[in-house]
Amino acid sequence: MKLTDITRLVEGNLLTSDSNLDWEIRGACGADLMSDVLAAIQPDAILLTGLCNPQVVRTAQMADVRAIIFVRGKRPSQETIQLAEQENIPLISSAYGMFELCGRLYQAGLPSLEVNLDCEE
Amino acid sequence: MNLQTIMDELGLTCLTQGRNFTTITPTSGYASDLLSCVMAGAKSDGLWVTLQAHLNIIAIAALLELSAIIITENAQVEPAVVQKANEQGVTLLATPLSTFEVVGKLWALGLRAD
Amino acid sequence: MSSDQELYGRRGRVVTDMDAKDITRVEELAYDLKIQEVMTRDLVVASPTMKMREMLELLRNRRISGAPVLAGDKLVGILSLEDLVRAMSANDLDADVDKYMAKVLITVNGYESLVRALETFTRFKVGRLPVTDEHGKLIGMITKGDITRGILLAIQKDYQEEEVRRYRASHLFEDIVSDRTTIVMRYNIKKDNFLLGGNASSNIKRALVRLGATPQIARRCGIAIYEAEMNLIIHTTHGGRIKVEIEPQQIIMTASDDGPGIENVDLAVQPGYSTATNEVREMGFGAGMGLFNIKRIVDRMELTSTLGQGTRLRMIIFLERNESLGEATADQTSQGESAE
Repeated sequence: MKLTDITRLVEGNLLTSDSNLDWEIRGACGADLMSDVLAAIQPDAILLTGLCNPQVVRTAQMADVRAIIFVRGKRPSQETIQLAEQENIPLISSAYGMFELCGRLYQAGLPSLEVNLDCEE
Repeated sequence: MNLQTIMDELGLTCLTQGRNFTTITPTSGYASDLLSCVMAGAKSDGLWVTLQAHLNIIAIAALLELSAIIITENAQVEPAVVQKANEQGVTLLATPLSTFEVVGKLWALGLRAD
Repeated sequence: MSSDQELYGRRGRVVTDMDAKDITRVEELAYDLKIQEVMTRDLVVASPTMKMREMLELLRNRRISGAPVLAGDKLVGILSLEDLVRAMSANDLDADVDKYMAKVLITVNGYESLVRALETFTRFKVGRLPVTDEHGKLIGMITKGDITRGILLAIQKDYQEEEVRRYRASHLFEDIVSDRTTIVMRYNIKKDNFLLGGNASSNIKRALVRLGATPQIARRCGIAIYEAEMNLIIHTTHGGRIKVEIEPQQIIMTASDDGPGIENVDLAVQPGYSTATNEVREMGFGAGMGLFNIKRIVDRMELTSTLGQGTRLRMIIFLERNESLGEATADQTSQGESAE
């Protein structure tokens, strides 16, 4: 699914300038724990999160996350936006909560892009 | 839609004491791993989806009178957490699925944020 | 080179007046680049005595949407498609260009920055501007499309420079001949500096990519060192140090600190075990998955700690032959632990 289509589905606002919305997004992950994102997310996913500090962008950069959606209309600081622009990670803000957004995107056919980690192993 | 149907449809495992889940009807869903957000945003009788398995989640669920917590990605739940949940009458459900997928399936079953 | 399509960027986005006022990422380039660097020099010029009908043909043939009007050497007006439309609807295509062209001339100087042109576009609601030199002589035309293209080219150049850096760095190991070549990078990590957390990891990941690491290797190293960096920020007494030793066949990353030390190392590696405060948890960290993550993602992890003295976390990723950095010789493949 293209990032443009996702932005439309979540009724989101693009916060970064000069972002490439033609990117193909392979799937999604909704999480607020960055260690979980680092551990489980597959490359080329979109991350939905309620956190909006610079570490979300750093995490995305390390884990090759394509783009980030901030839920509940959260807006990151200007520094975070600049960091995202520098690292080429589009940031999108949506007024809806995590539940609504996961529901909509899953319904639209976007798969989960997290590997199942068995902590028991 | 009652909790038993949801458990069957999603193949959830119940970690706490069994009860008649057909009498429990979650009225809304909420997904977040940030406890302060859940405190502010989750509604009573709601279903909370998270991968947090920390002891603090039980106090929040009891306080907000949530219908159940679904712990995703097989996050490891300590026996102390299960014990506390049983004491407080909180239902803990577990799944290997991700939060994204669980919410997607709940949404498809008709459960909404409000 | 200034047809209507030029108003659209390569990615189909229209640069509107709103954008012109509001651009952020490209702002720097908009200040750095001069108008004369991006303007169109190859001009199609009209004269005031040309007929509007000829003008229609000219614009159509050259696929442009306007042209400056020169009387001899002197810029006397500018004629755009809108002027043609006015003439057409008045059924007046036999009139002179002079009758319909805009005579109030707004110009910009070639040596001014792009921001100046953007401001002028916005202020006067025009889509094209004649560019003059310091003597007032016409040297080109600039449209929003020229600006978009100029900035895109500059960004592309940045990208190519990165490619060149990558090319040079990736040959480092071939160019330097020794029995065992190691690149060592060191970073000091400050305690509680949450905002800058990840800067070191970001630089490390970038360096690895430049040195020719595969995306998978760069990602694994990035994730592991980032968890370690956040641990130094969150859990130490005074922060700590990161050392990365890069060799063609292996990458060794070490994070060390001088306290407080871990009481039970085995417990610390257990998933979900955490001593983090609620505050840290609400920032998305401290869920007790960091060390567990690292252990999963690296090939070898060694964690040693003495309570009251400090902790040393050593992470090694081995590179398969097809992942190796540079053309490694057989000698370098022997990973002598004794060399440590």
